[in-house]
Amino acid sequence: MGNVEIFGYTDKISVKAGDAIQFHVSTEGTEEVEAQLVRLIHGDEHPDGPGFIEEEVDCMANGTWAVAKQFTQVGTFLEVDDPENRLALEGSFTLWAFIRPGWPDSGKRQTILGRWDAATGDGYGLGINEDGRLEFWLGWDGEIDRLVADEKLHLQMWYLVAVSFDAVTKRATLYQEGVGNSYNSLLGEVAALPYASHPSGELRLSQQNLTQTPFLIAGARDRSEEHGDFVGALYWGKIDRCGVYGRALGREELDAIGAGEALPKDDVVAAWDTSLGYTDRGIGDLVVDTGPYGLDAKGYNRPVRGKTGWNWTGFTDCFRLAPEEFGGIEFHADQLVDCKWPAAMSLKLPKSLRSGVYAMRLRAGEGAGLREEHIVFFVRPAKPSARIAFVFPTATYLAFANEQMSFDDPQRQSVMGRFPIVSEIDIELYRRGEFGLSTYDKHADGVGVVYSSYRRPIPNMSPKYRTPSLDVPSGLAADLSITAWLEHHGYAYDILTDEDLHREGLDALAPYACVLSGTRPEYCSERMLDAVEDYIAEGGRYIYMGANGFVHSCGFRDDEPWALEIRRRDDGYKTWASAHGEQYMATDGMRGGPWMPLGRPPQKLVGIGLSGQGAGSSEFYRRMPDSYHRMSSWITKGVEGEIIGDTGLADGGAAGLALDHYEHTLGTPPHTKIIASSGGHTDVYAVNQQIVLYAYLGLYGSHDSRVRADMTYFTAPNHGAVFACGSIAFGQALPVDNFENNAGKVLANVLDAFVEPGRLPGWAWISEEKQWR
Amino acid sequence: MSETNEVKWRNPLAVWPGGKEIEELPTNAWHSHQDVWRARRESKTKLYPVGRLRYWYKFAGHGGRLWSRMRYWPTRRRVLDVRGEYNRKTLQREKTVADRRPIYWLLCLAALAIAPLLAPSNMQYTLLVAGATFGIYAAINLCWNLVIGIGGIFSLATYSIVGTSAFITAYLSIQYGFSWWMLAPIGAVVGLLFGAVIAFPATRLDGFYYALLTLGLNELCRVYFTTSSEFGGSNGGLYGADSYIPDSWSSDHQLLLGYYACFGLMLAALFLHRFVGGRRIGRLLRMAPEKREAFAEATGVDFRRARVWIFLIYAAALGFIGGFYVTNFGGVSFSIFSFDAVLLGLAMLVIGGIGRPEGAVAGTLIVVFLDKVMLGLGPLRLVLVGLIALLVVLYLRNGLFGIKTQFRAWRDKKKSEHRSTRAEKGGEMLPEEATETDDKGIVYARRFDKMTRDHLKTLVSPEIIEEHRVTLNGQHSDALERLLIYFRTREQVEKYGILNVVPFKNYRIVAFSGHKGVPPRLVEDRIYPSYDAACHGVFLRRVQDLLES
Repeated sequence: MGNVEIFGYTDKISVKAGDAIQFHVSTEGTEEVEAQLVRLIHGDEHPDGPGFIEEEVDCMANGTWAVAKQFTQVGTFLEVDDPENRLALEGSFTLWAFIRPGWPDSGKRQTILGRWDAATGDGYGLGINEDGRLEFWLGWDGEIDRLVADEKLHLQMWYLVAVSFDAVTKRATLYQEGVGNSYNSLLGEVAALPYASHPSGELRLSQQNLTQTPFLIAGARDRSEEHGDFVGALYWGKIDRCGVYGRALGREELDAIGAGEALPKDDVVAAWDTSLGYTDRGIGDLVVDTGPYGLDAKGYNRPVRGKTGWNWTGFTDCFRLAPEEFGGIEFHADQLVDCKWPAAMSLKLPKSLRSGVYAMRLRAGEGAGLREEHIVFFVRPAKPSARIAFVFPTATYLAFANEQMSFDDPQRQSVMGRFPIVSEIDIELYRRGEFGLSTYDKHADGVGVVYSSYRRPIPNMSPKYRTPSLDVPSGLAADLSITAWLEHHGYAYDILTDEDLHREGLDALAPYACVLSGTRPEYCSERMLDAVEDYIAEGGRYIYMGANGFVHSCGFRDDEPWALEIRRRDDGYKTWASAHGEQYMATDGMRGGPWMPLGRPPQKLVGIGLSGQGAGSSEFYRRMPDSYHRMSSWITKGVEGEIIGDTGLADGGAAGLALDHYEHTLGTPPHTKIIASSGGHTDVYAVNQQIVLYAYLGLYGSHDSRVRADMTYFTAPNHGAVFACGSIAFGQALPVDNFENNAGKVLANVLDAFVEPGRLPGWAWISEEKQWR
Repeated sequence: MSETNEVKWRNPLAVWPGGKEIEELPTNAWHSHQDVWRARRESKTKLYPVGRLRYWYKFAGHGGRLWSRMRYWPTRRRVLDVRGEYNRKTLQREKTVADRRPIYWLLCLAALAIAPLLAPSNMQYTLLVAGATFGIYAAINLCWNLVIGIGGIFSLATYSIVGTSAFITAYLSIQYGFSWWMLAPIGAVVGLLFGAVIAFPATRLDGFYYALLTLGLNELCRVYFTTSSEFGGSNGGLYGADSYIPDSWSSDHQLLLGYYACFGLMLAALFLHRFVGGRRIGRLLRMAPEKREAFAEATGVDFRRARVWIFLIYAAALGFIGGFYVTNFGGVSFSIFSFDAVLLGLAMLVIGGIGRPEGAVAGTLIVVFLDKVMLGLGPLRLVLVGLIALLVVLYLRNGLFGIKTQFRAWRDKKKSEHRSTRAEKGGEMLPEEATETDDKGIVYARRFDKMTRDHLKTLVSPEIIEEHRVTLNGQHSDALERLLIYFRTREQVEKYGILNVVPFKNYRIVAFSGHKGVPPRLVEDRIYPSYDAACHGVFLRRVQDLLES
């Protein structure tokens, strides 16, 4: 038996008790696994905490599952819906496309468009060859003939490329002409590389069209014994408008297309107008054919749309304003949105199942490392029953899903101030490279990843996972420290996810007296932000259990909630930045990047917002004067001395990783009280770039007063209130000393008060102060 | 290294309550990182100007206009593999003929075609006879090259095949009156049969043993034909076979016809060589040279089959040449089996360079010229041939036509020798090195890196190493912080990280690849009991790397 590995995912991330859920599993080296449904109590295995705790739950699906190795089609392409085989061209033809190669020197063949079967060598295609040159090829039963352009294609430059093939003389003529302007390409006019090439030659054969070959844009049909049919020869870069003519177009006609004039009307087989079908609220996966047969093309793995096109003039920076200039579709051969494996098991959850974080635990062999997989999903109650709800920030989990920065990003060590620490699982995921990337990573061509999804295995969303760059759990494993604390102290609570917030808005939160956030609810769609804001405004009591929350926008399509979109831009923390003109999300038309520049800094919602980030060492909070005011002194009742949170599983303190601070100028409600603040952070902690105007010496922990965590409290209309902890590490301070510690004491005080209906403690101490001392 | 430990660093965070922070630690005396920059005013080695003058014309081509690309009929190969490149210094378009050999071939063949017209009249006879001999021998050597060069089989049976075919066809012509046009095809059949006999040992025997075997075969043929009475054992050969050269023609015309016929034979052999070498069988055989058969077989190359095939083609072609030989000279002598014929033939191949058609032809030309034209030199001719062959074997790696690559390799060797004496390891780039880097940002990065390291090396001291151990994730002194910032900001290739083998128990140091999909490698066997210990291990390694650089 070779290496045994198990990977899996569910079709839904959030289900209600009584719903059905499907499990998709792929294994290596084993054909059966032991399945056991478990409720996850605590994840972090740090010796100072309770360790990993799960509770086995009876269900129909427990037992041995028959599983198999599944193939994953990675990479983006468009498949043309051509039931009548209109594109099985027999006579003369022309293929044309506006392209902006993203990685012409990849050393691998890339198909721009064509109806090509690479396994049998039948059909035709226009693409980029291994040498980085435009090539037209056609084949008849494995005999292949080709015509190659004599100038290499240059990186990130716009071209009009075409091939005209005369079926009678078998003469093929390539057309390659640069259409870059001062805005749309990497190089401007001062660096005039040779872009044009117009070779022509007679080929020795013409193509054979097999009926089953699909016409693809940015890929070509291939086949292997192991995988069956798949799409290979994937293209890197942008393709704008493209099409097919049923005759050999002449030079002047192609020149006219390159000049942006109207397309010739006669003999059109297909003409894909990539800029059609845009709405202010997003762009779908369908690329519309304006030709006579309506041969629309459908995107696979979500080619990125709404990108600047060949004719972008820089005047507008959003596809909503001038869609015709934003016809660019970007393709990446390593992008993945949905593994599309067949379901290994389908399970109808019992109606009586308690709300919580569940996982289907699959084990093979000794059941450790890659031989154990927790396929995590979140179960809401059939009907809300508890007074407390905990919202798992699944949007942020998705943003970080399968993050590989420790392997690829040289800045990562500097940002975290530590040497990264990777595990067997990280290395295997990196080696495979087939389960997609996170929105923090870059594609192999250096372009940032904008889509993430939960329809793929996500090892870093498992309960024991430690983040390589931190050696501390983050995301789910960190958030479980909070729910474990609730569990330990016997609080009845329901759980919700970001997906529920996005889908149902305020309705999801309204039934609860008190709502707790996760440790890092960083990514929020507009609907999620609205839900939290409305909840607080209408009298809800909200505990913001972390930091770096409500910072960044993200988008979901209503019909595909598993995929999340992120665009990053110049005004936020980022590991990459979207190009200009490409900073608006294709899923919903919202501006990508942080919420602050849109007038929604986190301070406005919860009183505090991101002040700094770092790692390596966490500090503690010391009480601030406001904690002695009777309006809020009940929060620290029972805390001995002034120190709060001097222990923790995350770097030994409650104030660490990311810190939030109080800032009037960013909209902290004027009556907000600071209960406690941290200080003395090391210089690895740097001030949040968003609140820095200049870079200068001294934007670090020991120099800048903004590098701190503020624990704040304010009351809201209708007996509402917000308590904010101010640090990501706060949640991980709770499990220390068997859940009995001063950080937990503070949280218990707040929670006990928040679940009580009616007035909040300290409500009466509101007169103006007349001090004698 | 710092010599004083009087200096203390005070932790700015020690004022914060809680007692977590260390208040002060011994550290290095401070000195500015600018010292290194200010002190370095010139390079340690002399910097020479670089740049090469363009003194020849290079066709710029035309990107905008249509460019028809012709092919060699009926193949799919382009006429002259012309590539468009751009000049990395001017960004201007340039056309490069990737393979200029067809041009040289054409020029040389044209020269051979008109050579008889240019020959001085007093030398006419000698030159034309030599030219005809050259044509035949060139054809033989081209065929020989198929097995030695492409097939990688050291066969010395070439002349025995030619000879056997020649004797049998001559015998048939003399005894049974076969006319001249039948002799070459019959020769091909004889050659084929001969080839079939010797092909099979070639798939089994190793190079040296096979050479011995075929040499023995050659000797066997010589003994058989010289002693057999049917084949004219008494008069030194068989003569009087039918010739294609009409007796009625003048001797000048006869000579000319002979010359061109042999020239034609050579062209045919060239075509065969190109045809076999350029097709699937040639590619298969080149994948399975001697000593690498097992590898080729493992990758699915059926080299035995290909070797048998190439042998049959080789033998049939040589048989054909044997038949032609008889019609050209009207007979054949026993000297064709002699050992010196084999040696002379080998000399031709070796001088030109084994494996290339141009080598076979040029080598033949040189040897035949010495042997048949420089008759005035007497026996010294053969000494000269031997001397040339010896020099070629001694000093050239692959004959005359290997000189270009050999020269380049030698120049590269000299280049790296010179660089290693002048350039510092990990130091700034020399002007010569900078010409090889497209990203000039790297040139500056190398300078910055060098300066930074020169400063950082002065910061490494036992105090700083101890400070790292005790304040691992805390606030650091200026010296330690500088070292850590440098270590953290390096590129990803070979950058150290830690492998979590068993959480909280078992850690090891790895190095990242910096290439997507390539997993990190373990750098040492040592196992650390905690993350902190492993971090300090990484730090020590990085310090060591810094000091060694």
